[in-house]
Amino acid sequence: MAYSDKVLDHYNNPRNVGSLDRNDPNVGTGMVGAPECGDVMKLQLRVDEASGVIEDAKFKTFGCGSAIASSSLATEWLKGKTVDEALAIKNTDIVNELSLPPVKIHCSVLAEDAIKAAIHDYKKKQGVRSPAEAALA
Amino acid sequence: MPVCWNCGKPPRDIHFCADCGSLQPPPANYFDFFELERKLVLDAAELDRRFYALSRRLHPDVFFRRGERERQYSLDSTAILNDAYRTLKDPVKRAEYLLKENGFETGEQKSANVPPELLEEVFELNMALEESAKEEIAAALAKFAAMRGESDVEMARQFERYDQSRERGVLAEIRGLLNRRKYIQNLIETANGTR
Repeated sequence: MAYSDKVLDHYNNPRNVGSLDRNDPNVGTGMVGAPECGDVMKLQLRVDEASGVIEDAKFKTFGCGSAIASSSLATEWLKGKTVDEALAIKNTDIVNELSLPPVKIHCSVLAEDAIKAAIHDYKKKQGVRSPAEAALA
Repeated sequence: MPVCWNCGKPPRDIHFCADCGSLQPPPANYFDFFELERKLVLDAAELDRRFYALSRRLHPDVFFRRGERERQYSLDSTAILNDAYRTLKDPVKRAEYLLKENGFETGEQKSANVPPELLEEVFELNMALEESAKEEIAAALAKFAAMRGESDVEMARQFERYDQSRERGVLAEIRGLLNRRKYIQNLIETANGTR
């Protein structure tokens, strides 16, 4: 199967590979996997406390070229967005940007799941630290 | 039981009519095709025996001088015969097939269905593998092969459990085991440089 130029570019020069401190309360971590192909994807984002804007995003994906490109692109898009804006990213946006063929659409779904999981994790952490809960504790 | 398309009597076996001997349209289900019970534990020698016997009986050459309908059935049957044999012969493919029949769609599994511990474990193993020096790869491979061996033993155990109980819960466990096996298999291929 032929990969599009954009997939190849992200595959050969993946952006934002790496990890952020999991224990940082401003960092959300999403770990997702596609069992049918045996892929595993970790995506992390750090939210600036004052502005609520995602200031950094990192990923590490073990999988096919399309899965790597999808998560690489996702981290690029996340930076500079608010959490709510990030939640609006759809897998179809990734499909269109990377010209993914039908058999690789699940890779983009995985990237969307990873974004959602990371934001869910971030919100959960923030929730735990909310003043109301702290008062109850 | 359906009746023969040619003479209207019930066929002797699933492939041929007892009365007129006409070849019947092939059953779509792989277990039915070999007249096997829908079980996960399977006698490989028995499957081989049935495969070779059916290969001879269903071969297009046998139907060379017959009507168009039987010639077509022969082609259809032979195609299913080969797919069915390859699928049922391999324990993983056999289990995938039975799961699909029971409504476990492999292609539509979501991350939510994969236990987080498994993802963490697989991620860490991949990280470690990526960071290993060349001389450590052999040890990693041996470890993955052992993990695959353990998961195969567990799978065989769950196959028996399913055949006895026919419980959906066991199928769900088998689904999980197959997912884990796929991840281990990928690690092995990565370590071998074949992925």
